[in-house]
Amino acid sequence: MFIGHFTEQPWQKEDWPAAWGSGVMEVSNREYDPFRAANLYNRYMDEKVYAEEMGFDGIMVNEHHSAPFCMNGVANVTASILARITSKAKIVILGNILPIHEDPLWLAESLAMIDVISRGRLVPGFVRGGGSESLAHNAPPHFNRERFEEAHDFLIKTWTTPGPFRWEGKHFHYRYVNPWAVPYQKPHPPIWVPGTSSRETVEWAAKHRYPYMMLASQLDLTQQMYQIYYDAAREAGYEAGPQHLGFMFFCHVEETEKRAIDVGRTLTQGVRSPYDPGAQRPRPWIEGPPGISTKSARALRRKMTASDSSGRTRAGARATFEDQVATHGMIVGTPESVVRKVRFIMETLRPGTIIFRTGDGAMAHEDQMRTLKLMGEEVLPAMREIGKELGLPGPYDVDPRTNAPLAAVAS
Amino acid sequence: MTTTTAACIEESFNIAGTSLQMRRGGSGAPLLILHGELGVPDWLRAYELLAQHYSVYVPSLPGFGSSEIPDWMMSVRDLSAWVNWFVRDYGLSTPLNVIGFSLGGWVATELATANSAIFSKMVLVGAAGIKPREGEIWDYFLNGAKDAFRKSFLNPAATEYVKYYGKDWTPDEAEQVECNREAAIRFLWRPYMHSVTLPGLLPAIGIPTLLLWGRQDAIVPMSSCELYKQGIPGAQVAVIEDCGHMPEMEKPEEFVKAVIEFLGT
Repeated sequence: MFIGHFTEQPWQKEDWPAAWGSGVMEVSNREYDPFRAANLYNRYMDEKVYAEEMGFDGIMVNEHHSAPFCMNGVANVTASILARITSKAKIVILGNILPIHEDPLWLAESLAMIDVISRGRLVPGFVRGGGSESLAHNAPPHFNRERFEEAHDFLIKTWTTPGPFRWEGKHFHYRYVNPWAVPYQKPHPPIWVPGTSSRETVEWAAKHRYPYMMLASQLDLTQQMYQIYYDAAREAGYEAGPQHLGFMFFCHVEETEKRAIDVGRTLTQGVRSPYDPGAQRPRPWIEGPPGISTKSARALRRKMTASDSSGRTRAGARATFEDQVATHGMIVGTPESVVRKVRFIMETLRPGTIIFRTGDGAMAHEDQMRTLKLMGEEVLPAMREIGKELGLPGPYDVDPRTNAPLAAVAS
Repeated sequence: MTTTTAACIEESFNIAGTSLQMRRGGSGAPLLILHGELGVPDWLRAYELLAQHYSVYVPSLPGFGSSEIPDWMMSVRDLSAWVNWFVRDYGLSTPLNVIGFSLGGWVATELATANSAIFSKMVLVGAAGIKPREGEIWDYFLNGAKDAFRKSFLNPAATEYVKYYGKDWTPDEAEQVECNREAAIRFLWRPYMHSVTLPGLLPAIGIPTLLLWGRQDAIVPMSSCELYKQGIPGAQVAVIEDCGHMPEMEKPEEFVKAVIEFLGT
């Protein structure tokens, strides 16, 4: 079992004017208060360090662009600092947005340095990114998938092939690839792929034997995506197992059920990720600019574009806190009831990786620290036992590339 | 496949490395229409009026309408080379007259800089391709499709605005609009709707050129028109008053009158 921790690192502010909408490309950065930001960045970093101390196997960071719901505009900056101030936990970046990089050589070298400084603790995840990422960095949405795949191939080659060599691709061109820094882990750091509902992404991850982390906290949708992974794995000639699959959901733990609900509710308050159930979605042409999706994925989006010319989509889940709790998208309670609910998820989905998303929305630092403590003391140890009982190896128990046990190596 | 109505013939066929949708009608000297970045919804009133004097050809450019876009095609310069290929393979006699709208104006200009022998006269309408000295070209991609059409017209009561854009679209219409946006993004993404090298090539154009602009063009500002005029030797300017980016749809009669005055019959 691999247990990770994640916070979206939202901007926290008492008021959120309606005009700011989803926050994605709708708020001027004149609202950015560096003093508030300094406190928040350091707070979130302190929480990561504490999560490691409490026994989480991995601390996850991500990035979004021109979006206050995720202050971490450059995941590699936070990951670099964590490489130095933590010592045991894997540093899981889910992920770097490959298509928006004009110079993936710079990315290859940055990630190699993080891997080396952390002495081999980096998990560099790769994503395609949403429309706002392409728009904010002026990366061509219509070549999003091509650039994702070419940048991926380039990174792998750069990490595994001694330089210098040349790269003359369709989107990237180099006459001299020979970065001094190469990764600590061999043949290269383990790549994970997060996703929400893209069939193509799941199939791509399965084809490469990269663990797939389902970020949308819906059990039935996750089961569908896992099935796509199992099928694609079989087609590629191997059996996928728990080591290939992960699941992320919101969690808040308190000493009493009442307090867990009262405080847990703040996860759905404040500056929210527009990709969470119940949050306001970005404008459809920002979320999905022309050409970023395949024809099938576009069908729904076209409907939204047509039906709402200047406002925002009405489509998408509008789940309340209560609804999310009822459907296991949010798990709140005492350690005992949380373990019971997490066990249900582990039995239902059989993931080898679970990533807890805590301290999000309007959650205060003290509340986040209290939940991390209770998780470390009571929830995580119980989960590890359940993981053994149910036979749920994580990607550091069984090698996703070979399906061979890794325990001997680890010990 | 060919569909013939009283007004036009609509057909699709393979040509110049792709599958092309073509609308054509009228008789007389050939007149090539290169549409703008929003595509063409129909055989428009302006085409019908022009068809009384010329053989009007309106191909849907690759990626627009039901025309397919080859994978290799990435830029406006590719598109202009493709037009050259199409004109030859379709057997249009050259030199011929051309009208280019916005993106199509940019395509015609690129082609004219490389091959002035292909066109006898050129009309550029609200042409993209040159970064304006004042103002900015409106960004289609930070805005929704309906906003783009609204922005393209000064008068939302204009007959063809009401008929095609100022209404709820059927799912098929909405899908076509989005497909056209996907084609447009491929050609226009960056530098946005202009070329940094085109101004340097404009003096190479040796074709009588009319620059035709709606005074209130809110997509490509009038200052782009002035730069075109400075660059293309002998270019004339005609401005249609109280009109936006699509004079051919907003004021078809005035538009056609200006075109005929310039091209002759």
